[in-house]
Amino acid sequence: MATEVVIPMLGVTVEKGIIVEWIKQEGDPVARGESLFVVEADKVTTEVESPATGILAKILIPAGQEVPVLTVVGLITEAGEAIPDEYKARPAAPAAEHGAAALAAASAGARSAPSASAIPRGPIAIVPAARKLAREKGLDLATIAASGPGGVILLRDVAAAAAAPGISASTLARRFADRKGVALAGMEGTGVRGRIMRADVERTLIEAQTPGLGKIIPMDRMRQVIARRMSTSAFTAPHIYFFTDVRMDPLLNFRREILPDFEKAFDLKPSINDFLIKAVALNILDFPILNATVKDQEIHIAPEVNVGLAVALDDGLIVPAITNADRAGLVDIIRQRMDLVKRARAGHLTMAELECGTFTVSSLAQYDITYFTAILNPPQSGILSVGKTRDELYLSDGGAVKTRQQATFGLSVDHRIIDGTVAADFLQNLKWKLERPTFTFLNL
Amino acid sequence: MREITYAQAINEALRQSMQQDERVVLLGEDIGCYGGVFQVTAGLLEEFGPERVVDTPISEAGFVGASVGAALTGMRPVTEIMFIDFTTVCMDMIVNQMAKMHYMFGGRGKVPMVLRTNIGAGRGTAAQHSQSFHAIFMHIPGLYVAAPSTPYDAKGLMIAAIQNENPVIFVEHKKLYIEKGPVPEESYTIPFGQAEIKREGKDITIVATHALVQRSLNAAGEAAKEGIDVEIVDPRTLVPLDKETILNSVKKTGRLIVADEGHKTCGAAAEITALVAEEAIYYLKAPVKRVCSPDTPVPFSPPLERAFIPDEKYLVPAIKSLMEYA
Repeated sequence: MATEVVIPMLGVTVEKGIIVEWIKQEGDPVARGESLFVVEADKVTTEVESPATGILAKILIPAGQEVPVLTVVGLITEAGEAIPDEYKARPAAPAAEHGAAALAAASAGARSAPSASAIPRGPIAIVPAARKLAREKGLDLATIAASGPGGVILLRDVAAAAAAPGISASTLARRFADRKGVALAGMEGTGVRGRIMRADVERTLIEAQTPGLGKIIPMDRMRQVIARRMSTSAFTAPHIYFFTDVRMDPLLNFRREILPDFEKAFDLKPSINDFLIKAVALNILDFPILNATVKDQEIHIAPEVNVGLAVALDDGLIVPAITNADRAGLVDIIRQRMDLVKRARAGHLTMAELECGTFTVSSLAQYDITYFTAILNPPQSGILSVGKTRDELYLSDGGAVKTRQQATFGLSVDHRIIDGTVAADFLQNLKWKLERPTFTFLNL
Repeated sequence: MREITYAQAINEALRQSMQQDERVVLLGEDIGCYGGVFQVTAGLLEEFGPERVVDTPISEAGFVGASVGAALTGMRPVTEIMFIDFTTVCMDMIVNQMAKMHYMFGGRGKVPMVLRTNIGAGRGTAAQHSQSFHAIFMHIPGLYVAAPSTPYDAKGLMIAAIQNENPVIFVEHKKLYIEKGPVPEESYTIPFGQAEIKREGKDITIVATHALVQRSLNAAGEAAKEGIDVEIVDPRTLVPLDKETILNSVKKTGRLIVADEGHKTCGAAAEITALVAEEAIYYLKAPVKRVCSPDTPVPFSPPLERAFIPDEKYLVPAIKSLMEYA
């Protein structure tokens, strides 16, 4: 029995995915659970595992094409089993509604489909004259972008590669550069023998971002997702904002106090953010409505407290969540946080890690920003914004002028389900917790 | 120049050869009184008499054997097998005797004869009178194989075949017999092993034989409207094969279609494709395509026969598909 391979549901808000790469090729044997292809949806790439053991008999959707989730993208047959007829004639195209790019990709796919069978399934398909030229020019075939039917490298492709000598780049880097519209020529590669990697392209992009007036910049996928989500949030959830000053000396002292022993014991350094996450999670236990989501006429209070931490990337923002932060110990929170931030920057987060958050902490404490308002991270109902810690003069009980360290915390909530008094209570309680760290973190 | 048909051109070649050399005699079924089923030998019985134009019984093995014997003893027979389909009943005479005598006798005997026959579907004559298995004779050492595509080539090659000291299978195409073209009145020869470029181009080489030459020219005209510049190489003789002209053309264009009416499997197109693969593969910018008859018997049903015949309807898409590798 043939098994259909689909793009899985990648998250509650994900509608479409783009296959970045087929790890297995047509005709390859696959085992159940082996990675078949890499799909990118919203901001995250995910490797999709084979649902069955057999032969990857047919790739219906080639790499580079965006299709809705649950689209059948390939077919796994048992050894010796013929491809059922209904798949043979199937054009490599999704239903019609997916925009010009998808249509263009689909027609390209359809055009190359008949010739594809004629192309030998080797590691690299290349016409002989192109192979000869590549050999003469000493070019690595893997670095040459193919433009022929079914992905075969043509003579002109080699000629083009030869005309731009010395450009050795990874497939990902080429694809990324192509998407961003940057030239690989002259780019410094940090890979083996100066091979240009994706990170090099990213770095070049950032460097190129300096003075940029009078430019039109196409939104990349991450920016599109951010734009869509921020608009959705701003225009569907009525935001109200609350601010309070939190005295930071106790927490800073508390951290300073435990730091040497903590480092010695766990080889980890807790940051202020780690304490904030923990305090927020504990506070949510007292105010479960801050852990809620609006779904039609219902308020769904999530069963777990997963605190998202906004991580700034070079070209965007991503909010992975620390799971069960209410129950997790500080060590666990630090480890989760470090791992998530590292993988966020490498683009290796899973959809689940991004979507499981129930509340978000967004800190600009390292900037000279007193306070700010934050847009909710949908479908969450609360987000905490943290400004810089500053020295302030205050009048002590004895009437003396003293200094203390203070930060302004902001809370944005979805006013549809959270009333002002509830939000005010939440923020006040959080302040209380943070100003009494020893008691708050007694259980760490 | 005056224009005559392919059949008339061969007729003229026979007449002029018989006038020049009294050793030239004709044998075959219905070639005398009736003038040949395609009228290729019309009027020759009247001019040269029954001694030189022999209507034979329906006995291919017998009269091909007789022709081999006549050739060995100094005559220059031109023997007609009415359809190539019928060569199967005299294969021993052709393969083991006609082709081998010169070799078996250590060069002390020779068989200077021409075996005329024809290929081609399209006349509604079904699976036993429409075949195109001329490639079988390319496979037999000791035989020359001619494959004229125009009246001019037919006449020049026929006279050269008759003058050849070795046995020649002269493969005509029955759909070409009524096609006209310019042919000089005087006797002339076209040397064997000399291909002709029937159309110059730079994008794709089509090596075409027989009727596929004209069909390829038509397809090339279509392709030219889209800016595709097709070169057409007509080998004219399949044995010997003018490799140099074929390879030079492929080296120039980098793309090859071989168009031949034989079945695809083990056909002339397969041989030419293999030649290019062996000697010019690094010049190929695209896969090679063969436009041939499918590997089925020739159907009687007219719609099926039309679908069977390799012509413009397959050539044009083949040309376009190779230009995807532009």
